[in-house]
Amino acid sequence: MSANSLLQAKDLSIDLFTARAALRPVDRVSYSVDAGETLAIVGESGSGKTVLNFAPLGLMPTGVVADLHGSLRFGGTELVGLSAKALRNFRGGQIGTIFQDPMSALNPAMRIGRQIAEVGELHLGLTASQAENRALELLKVVRMSDPEARLRQYPHELSGGLRQRAMIAIAIAGEPKLLIADEPTTALDVTVQAQIIALLKDLQRRLHMAIVLITHDMGVVASIASKVAVMYAGRVVEYGGVEQVLLAPRHPYTGGLIAALPRPEDAPGSLFRGLPGAPPILGAPQPGCPFAPRCPLVEEICSELRPPLVTASSGTAAACHVVNDVRYREVAHA
Amino acid sequence: MPDVAPLLSIQNLVTRFKSVERGKWITAVDDVSISLAPGEMVGLVGESGCGKSTLGRSIVGLEKPQSGSVIYDGVDLSTLSGRALRQKRRAIQYVFQDPYASLNDRQTIGETIAEALIIIGINDKAEHARLIHTLLDQVGLPASLAERYPRELSGGQRQRVAIARSLAVEPRVLICDEPVSALDLSIRAQVMNLFLKLHKELNVACLFIAHDLALVRQATSRTYVMYLGRIIEEGRSDELYARPSHPYTQALLASIPSADPRIEANRPPPSIFGEIPSPTNPPSGCRFRTRCPQAMEICAATPPEAVRLTPSHSARCVIAGDIYQKNKAADHVEPVPA
Repeated sequence: MSANSLLQAKDLSIDLFTARAALRPVDRVSYSVDAGETLAIVGESGSGKTVLNFAPLGLMPTGVVADLHGSLRFGGTELVGLSAKALRNFRGGQIGTIFQDPMSALNPAMRIGRQIAEVGELHLGLTASQAENRALELLKVVRMSDPEARLRQYPHELSGGLRQRAMIAIAIAGEPKLLIADEPTTALDVTVQAQIIALLKDLQRRLHMAIVLITHDMGVVASIASKVAVMYAGRVVEYGGVEQVLLAPRHPYTGGLIAALPRPEDAPGSLFRGLPGAPPILGAPQPGCPFAPRCPLVEEICSELRPPLVTASSGTAAACHVVNDVRYREVAHA
Repeated sequence: MPDVAPLLSIQNLVTRFKSVERGKWITAVDDVSISLAPGEMVGLVGESGCGKSTLGRSIVGLEKPQSGSVIYDGVDLSTLSGRALRQKRRAIQYVFQDPYASLNDRQTIGETIAEALIIIGINDKAEHARLIHTLLDQVGLPASLAERYPRELSGGQRQRVAIARSLAVEPRVLICDEPVSALDLSIRAQVMNLFLKLHKELNVACLFIAHDLALVRQATSRTYVMYLGRIIEEGRSDELYARPSHPYTQALLASIPSADPRIEANRPPPSIFGEIPSPTNPPSGCRFRTRCPQAMEICAATPPEAVRLTPSHSARCVIAGDIYQKNKAADHVEPVPA
C-alpha cells in the first residue's frame, strides 16, 4: 500500500445494530485506492460490500446503528469517528456516489436540472443561475441527448440509461476525487451497460477521479478495474491487480466464481459449473474461514483458525490456509 | 424449425396495451410466431422493454392477446373457454423471475404445493404428503422443508419451490421468465442445472426468457432474438451465437464484457448508441434502424422480410445474407461472456 493513497482502509470493521439483531457485515477489511485508479469490490449479496462503502459515509437506513472500528482515511482525514456534520461536506462533494437503482435514488418530484444544480450550490458555493448553467454543461459531459430539454424533465420521463447518466452528472457535480459506484449497471441492459462503462472510463481519465466500483459481474470488473478486492462473508478473501486476480485467482472462492462463468466453448445442453452450497448468512463473526463449508480444498484447520491475508510473489493476497501453504499451491491453480 | 410436429405453436400473436395517452396503443408483442417441439429447450432473448415477458404471459393467458393464436397439442386455445380451457392450459406452466414475490408468505411450502395438487383433483392428505416429498426431492430440496415458510428459505431454495409447484400439475411446457436473474452468481449454476436435469428426466419443453445471452446459449438448442415486439432473428443456438446475422444480435453479443482484462483493454467502443425506443410510436420499416450502425434508406420504407440463411436460421434484415457470408469468411471470434 502506497503512502499517498487517496483512500485507505485499515482493519476496518463495521457492526450494525438494528431493533432485532447485531451483525458484523464487515470484518477487519483493509484496502487502498490511489488517485485516478479503479478498485472493484466483488462479492455476492450479503458479502458486506455495500455496507463497507456506505456505512462510513453515514449512508445507512434509518433505525440501523453502525459502529465502526479500525481506520478509513480519505485524503488526510480519518472518516471513522467523524461527526455527521463533517461527513456532509465530503458526501456529494469530494466523494460522489452512484447507486444501483437510479429511479429510487433520484428525487421524483424535482426536475433533473435542479437536482444537479443543488450540488453546485451546496459544495461549490455557486449561485442558482451559475449552478443551472453548470448543470447543462454536466449533462453534456455525460453525453445526454438533447440536454436543454432534459434539464426540465422529471426522472420518470427518462429511460433507465438516461437516469443513470443523470445520477452520474449529480455524482460528478461536486468535482469529486473519489466516486463510489454501487452496481451502477446491474439494472441496465448489456448494450446500455457498455455505454455507461465507456462513459465512466472517459470521465475518470478527464477528471482524474478514483473509482470504487461495487459489482458482482466479472465482465464489468475486467472492463474497468485496475485492482480487485473479492469479499466473502464480510472479509476480503483475495486482493490484487485485476489481471492477476481474474486470470490466476488464488483463493478457491475467486477461482470458483470465475470458473462458474459460461464460456463459448461449453456445448449447448452441457451442465453449468458452479459452487456447491449457499452463500453465508450474516451473523456473528466466525472463528474460522467462512468459505470452509463450500470449499473443495477444505482442511481441518479451516474451521478453527481465521486465515490471514498473505501476499504471494505474484502480488495478490489471499486469505486461505491451504493455498498459502507451499505444498498445495499448484493444486489450487488447477 | 424442428422436424417433429410442434407441441406449442404461437402464430401471429399480437398483444396491445392501452397507452396513458388517449386513443394510443402500445403494441408490446407484434405479429410474433414461435414454436416449441416436445421436450425442446428454447431461448427468447432481448433487452428490457422488448416484449419478451409479455409474450410469455400471453402464452399462459396472463395477458389477453389482441389477435393470433396459441396452439397447444393441435388445439387453438382461443377456441376453448371455461373448464376445457383451464384443463388444456394446465400443461403450460410459468416460473416467475422473483421468487421473493411469487410465493405466499403465509403458506408453508407444503401448503403451497398442495394447492396445486388440489387443483388437479388430488384431495387425499396421505397422497399429498407423498407427492410433496417426491416433488421436493425432484428439485433437490429435503422433505423437511414442507413445514417451513418462504421467509425461512434462501433465494435459490425459493426458486426451487416455485419450480416444484409448477411441476406438481405435470406440465409439458414450462415458460421460465428470467428464472435465475434474481439469484446470486454462485447459485445460478445450481438452478440452471436443475432445469437441465428436469428437462432430461421429465422431458418437459422449456421456453427460457432471459437477457443473459451466455446462459441461454448453453441451456437451449434454439434461440429467438426479440426487438421492440418482433422476432428479428432465430436459429440453432450454436449457429446463432457463432454467426449472428442481424446487426442487433451482433451488437447484443458484442456488448457482453469479457472476464479477461486483456481482451477488455482492446475493446472497441460500443457500436450502437441510445436505448430501445418507445413502443407507443415505433420507427417505420425496420424497428432497429434508429440505432443500427448500418441503416440505409430502404430500412425506413418497409419492415424487412425474414431472410432464410440455413433451414433453421433466419434474420429480418435486408443485409442479413451479406452479414452471414462475412461471418463465414472471417474467422469469427466470440467474446468470452461474463
